[in-house]
Amino acid sequence: MSKHDGEMKMIEQAEVKGRIREYVLEEFAKTKGINHITDQEILTKNGVIDSMGIFRLVSFLEETFNVRIGDEEITHDNLESVDAIERLVIAKSKK
Amino acid sequence: MAYILQQLLTKSAKAYPDKPAVWARGRSISYRELDERSNQLAHLLRQSGVEKGDRVGLFFPKCVESIVSMLGVLKAGGVYVPLDPQAPADRIGYIIGNCGIQVLITNEERRAALPPETVSTLECCILTEGEGNRSDLVAWSQLSEFLASEAPKVTMVETDLAYILYTSGSTGRPKGVMLTHQNALTFVEWCAEEFQVRSEDRLSNHAPLHFDLSVFDVYNTLAAGATVYLITEDLALFPTSLASFIESQGITIWYSVPSALMLLLLYGRVTSEKLRSLRVILFAGEVFPMKYLRQLAEVSTASDLYNLYGPTETNVCTYYKVERERLAEFNTLPIGIACANTECFSVTPDGRLAKPGEPGELYVRGPSVTNGYWADPEKTKKMVVPNHFEEHFEEKMYRTGDIVTVGDDGNYYFQGRRDSQIKSRGYRIELGEIESALLSHSDVREAAVLAIPDELIGNRIRAVVVPHVPGSLGVLQLQQYCASRVPKYMIPEIIDLCDELPKTSTGKIDRVKLATEAAALP
Repeated sequence: MSKHDGEMKMIEQAEVKGRIREYVLEEFAKTKGINHITDQEILTKNGVIDSMGIFRLVSFLEETFNVRIGDEEITHDNLESVDAIERLVIAKSKK
Repeated sequence: MAYILQQLLTKSAKAYPDKPAVWARGRSISYRELDERSNQLAHLLRQSGVEKGDRVGLFFPKCVESIVSMLGVLKAGGVYVPLDPQAPADRIGYIIGNCGIQVLITNEERRAALPPETVSTLECCILTEGEGNRSDLVAWSQLSEFLASEAPKVTMVETDLAYILYTSGSTGRPKGVMLTHQNALTFVEWCAEEFQVRSEDRLSNHAPLHFDLSVFDVYNTLAAGATVYLITEDLALFPTSLASFIESQGITIWYSVPSALMLLLLYGRVTSEKLRSLRVILFAGEVFPMKYLRQLAEVSTASDLYNLYGPTETNVCTYYKVERERLAEFNTLPIGIACANTECFSVTPDGRLAKPGEPGELYVRGPSVTNGYWADPEKTKKMVVPNHFEEHFEEKMYRTGDIVTVGDDGNYYFQGRRDSQIKSRGYRIELGEIESALLSHSDVREAAVLAIPDELIGNRIRAVVVPHVPGSLGVLQLQQYCASRVPKYMIPEIIDLCDELPKTSTGKIDRVKLATEAAALP
């Protein structure tokens, strides 16, 4: 078993989405006057996350879920919504 | 010779009817389509009551329809006002009221976000996305019912207004910079010559359309019969995607704020190979840190690099073509020399021309300079002033508020501001506008907003707030309050709550002390 698998078991998969949602809401949305986001909402479209925010988000994901996200994986498809971010984290932690 | 902006399109539509004019979000539109769609929109606007000189707002995310709308409004004889689709409803409502917009091009989602009292003042909304079949709510699909082959006949001259760009205002409300067809064309003609824009060129449009950098992207494309690629948020925020996009689309001319280029350098995995199509890279809007500019110069081997300088009121008034061999010697990059058909002076506080090396405020005269601010004669009088160097007739010049020196090499060098205007990510921000927003909160007694210099984004915004009742206010609460009044890029990133602000002996807020303290904090 790799180290990543072990880490992922400690943080239950169901908890992943909750932690991502909470981080995006507390770190980005609320300070910009947005108190509610859905898991499908496109975070870049309404300005919740800006260019520097993307990199703060990636650092958070790497530290919290113990995954490594390469520069080429920092794309709109992978990070556009809470749902997409969850998919990325789960896919990365299975590797 | 074009004397109004839409003639640039008409001419290129004849020469290159089938060539793509605009690309956005995976879709493109040919010159013929752009010409015909904007004719149809112009007829629809006339039918909706738009007359010569009427302001028409554009309030939706950047897409192909944005460019159709700009041209359609001009062809109807109107003045377009691009509105930040992410700005708070209160600010958009203010702008709509300030310049008397009665017809708005928007989409269903953005329209729903407007304050109800603003919607009730609008005579007509044209929806780029969404349903509408009433006289006051028209769907984009209805354009096909209007004449495509020619635009409405409207008598226009080059000094007619073309668009109004709202920028941050120090008194708490944004101000509308009025730009005429002549203002824009003076700049476009200079660019066409200096950068030799050709029909084979592929230009990027990175800046939002309410930002004056976009004037080059859009109108120099149309003037040359080239293609403009609108960079939307799905690309702009993701450096590796953006780098691949530049390579795959073969972008030849790039124009953006330096911070966008710095993100590409830091995270985009750019190589000379990836950037080989770029023959011109233009940047403006903020100071480019030398460290990153040197990196850019190393990697963009096929490109000429230009630092363009100028406030919205003049579009661009000076430029510096980067001399790569001199990059090692510069601590700061020059802003260069005046563009063609533009004259700049450096004026001392006592009103004479500054000597070489002596600091002075930069003044600008010529046909690219604004007539002033919409419905604000007082502010206009302060900034667009009589040219006292001309003794024989009356003429105006614009005072930029920027302090400059002239170097031994004949270039202007930017030294700072004479007021509290700052730049962050290339956005022009009046700290006073943020202070006004904070002070409008009923629980705030005093507020001071400071800029903390930051290498990557220019400046971060920090506020110090004194509540009427200690402990009655929270940081998040204040940030959310700001979010309802100012754009997201103006919300203070850090807010310190305290019991009092340091004062000078005359009782004014001691900003020097505050800035020193803030700079020492983490």
